[in-house]
Amino acid sequence: MSIARGGLETELLEARKHLGPAAGSRSARRVWTLLLLAIPISSLAMATIGKPVVNAAGLPQMYEFWRAAASPELGTSFLRVTFSAALTTLAYAILGSMLSILIGLAGGSIAARSSWATLRKPLRWSVVGGTRGLLSLPRGVHEVVWGLILINVLGADPLVGILAIGIPYGAITAKVFAEILDEAHQQPYLALRGAGAGRARAMLYGLFPVASGDMISYVFYRFECSIRAAAILGLIGAGGLGYELALSFRTLRYDEMWTLIYALIVLSGLVDLWSSSLRKRLSVTSEKPPRNFPTASALVWLGLCVVSAIHLQVSLSNLVSDRARDGFRLIAGGLWPPSLPAETWPALIRASIDTLEMSVIATAIAATLGAITSVLLSGGSHRPSRAGRVAASAPRIAAKGLLLLCRAIPPPVWALLLLFVLLPGVLPGALALGIYNFGILGRLMSEATENLEPAPRSALLASGASGPGSFLYGSAPRLASRYVALSLYRWEVTTRETVIVGLVGAGGLGRLLTGNLAAFDFARVSGVLITLIAITLLVDAVSAAARQAFR
Amino acid sequence: MTDLGSGRRVDPPPFRLRSAGVRFADLHALREIDLTVAHGERVALIGPSGAGKSTLIHLLNATQRPTSGTVEIFGTAPTEQRQRALRTIQGRIGTIHQGFDLIGPLRVIHNVNAGHLSRWGIARAAYSLVSPLELPAARHALERVGIGDKIFERTDRLSGGQQQRVALARVLAQDPEVILADEPISNLDPVRSREIMDLLRDLSTSDGRTLVVSVHDYSYALSHCTRVVGLRDGTVRFDRNPEEIDRATIDRLYAMESGE
Repeated sequence: MSIARGGLETELLEARKHLGPAAGSRSARRVWTLLLLAIPISSLAMATIGKPVVNAAGLPQMYEFWRAAASPELGTSFLRVTFSAALTTLAYAILGSMLSILIGLAGGSIAARSSWATLRKPLRWSVVGGTRGLLSLPRGVHEVVWGLILINVLGADPLVGILAIGIPYGAITAKVFAEILDEAHQQPYLALRGAGAGRARAMLYGLFPVASGDMISYVFYRFECSIRAAAILGLIGAGGLGYELALSFRTLRYDEMWTLIYALIVLSGLVDLWSSSLRKRLSVTSEKPPRNFPTASALVWLGLCVVSAIHLQVSLSNLVSDRARDGFRLIAGGLWPPSLPAETWPALIRASIDTLEMSVIATAIAATLGAITSVLLSGGSHRPSRAGRVAASAPRIAAKGLLLLCRAIPPPVWALLLLFVLLPGVLPGALALGIYNFGILGRLMSEATENLEPAPRSALLASGASGPGSFLYGSAPRLASRYVALSLYRWEVTTRETVIVGLVGAGGLGRLLTGNLAAFDFARVSGVLITLIAITLLVDAVSAAARQAFR
Repeated sequence: MTDLGSGRRVDPPPFRLRSAGVRFADLHALREIDLTVAHGERVALIGPSGAGKSTLIHLLNATQRPTSGTVEIFGTAPTEQRQRALRTIQGRIGTIHQGFDLIGPLRVIHNVNAGHLSRWGIARAAYSLVSPLELPAARHALERVGIGDKIFERTDRLSGGQQQRVALARVLAQDPEVILADEPISNLDPVRSREIMDLLRDLSTSDGRTLVVSVHDYSYALSHCTRVVGLRDGTVRFDRNPEEIDRATIDRLYAMESGE
């Protein structure tokens, strides 16, 4: 089965990693289906049964919060604060993405097998494997953890936010760039090499033009993510909308919170729109290849980088200041050797189980709601009458708005809101991550649904099948494997994200991490980090095996 | 719409086009097509790329509406149809596509059973995905196209020729009065091509089904059909029996602009 490339499912690009060409057997698929149903259910049971979860006393406050949605604070002075905060968030996202592009280009061309095609095999494998291994470390650590560590090195400096986004995203981008270069159609490149062109020139003419669509597409997908990352980083003090949101929350100014939330929705909505329209145009299946649009976007992008740097007053000299050097020495010295948390192994194991539980429940919620939403969104799009189309567009817009709201509010804020009505523990953290990832997964799934090759379903419709019937036979079987792949991939991301709800006391390794960071106990911080990376690797492996079975 | 002719007929012909045209923005895909196809005919559509063969097939299975003129299918114009009635008409027409258009991850049995979808309700369709219905009929259809042993295979594991046979078996399960085939052999090698064309002809002759097939290789038009329609630039250039077609007619149809 070929998966269409380009803007279609950029995330699937990652979801396909480590997968060989052969598909899983039917019995393997059955076993995995059972496991994927049983694991979330048992996790949910473990997190709820026999434990008090609901805190009814907080219901009035929850109500107050939602009621304020209709009356956001619109005073001029606060609007000015909101506007400037939005600019700050945008600026972090832009500069963070820019850094990740640079790291991605450099790391990606080193880690690509095709770059070393003429080297002897053992040497090539060690270069490629070494680079890829080196890149996997920064990827395993969430942006917020990078932020928390960097803030200890650099102090309250705009560089913290930029580096916290740029380093982990750069590592992911490098890995994906390397894969895109390796998966790109090699024939034109090899033909040029065969005709006597030098390696660099052959790559420039034969490889990059083939791969650039996918690469630009991925960069913009990352940019979308970095808007959300910038908002979350604001919560730990980087400034911008997240910071203001936390401030208003602390003073329980719900009306202000809603102004900021609406700003976040507009901001991430605009970026999503820019990104998805660009990715759609870059897609291989798009009818007309773009001409001016990427050029215009590239110019806009460079302009935005400059403006952002000025707005944030970025000064690279802070990277080499005495303070930075001392901070780096302190932390680098403190991180090694790692040590166990205060209550040693039982605490670490307990927290690890909590983290796993949280990520499983969150992903299950997000995947279930996301699949239902995207199927409902896709329904009735075939052969509608004009009246039907108008009637169908209202719930469509409402659903897309709901998805946007869910992913625009940072997970820690969701968690704090849930803590009004739920007692602290795994459940509020899992629900917060579930709601947030529902916003992301729902969008990715409906993108996958919209981009599904329509011919098989159209063929059924042409032979008189009904709308639901043609969906059931023509679309659902092909969507199922993509939905599963996206959800499993999202599980890996969610595992890393458990840290950020741990910040607000939702339990798991995140809470251990925050506690030790606050105490400047870097040996224990690195102990927790290593555990977290190990869990992430475990989840990656399980997820890859399951995805293989469902191909 | 005036419809003087159909009042006298008990059994209206499958297709009757009167100056039908299709226009996409600035492009006239088809213009002024007058064509009536009678029951049991085997009509070949030939012509160079871009002549409008696919668009004509789409007019015939009512997935494309004419932008001018009228298209009557079994005596009724689909433009006036409501959804349910349209689906009933489409259920009487089976189409085989150039790219096969099968559902890759589904097993062959379900791809064949998809031919029943115009008659099956949603509950029945869903149940069949769990426990396949109409197994004997599906097996019979697959045996008839020569791949009875592949019934439980995953469809995307089959070769191109086998997939085209699955598409044929689906049409057999649908049991339509008319079979439309849009370039059914363009992705196949010469041996598979002949087998598929023979099958299509046999399905038409033995069950009395009407066949409309577009082919690039005009020799099949002459050997397998009872009538040949030459299309070029969206218009009908000729409409004759195969015996009346000579080399010069074909050459004119496919000639480059300067040759006209």
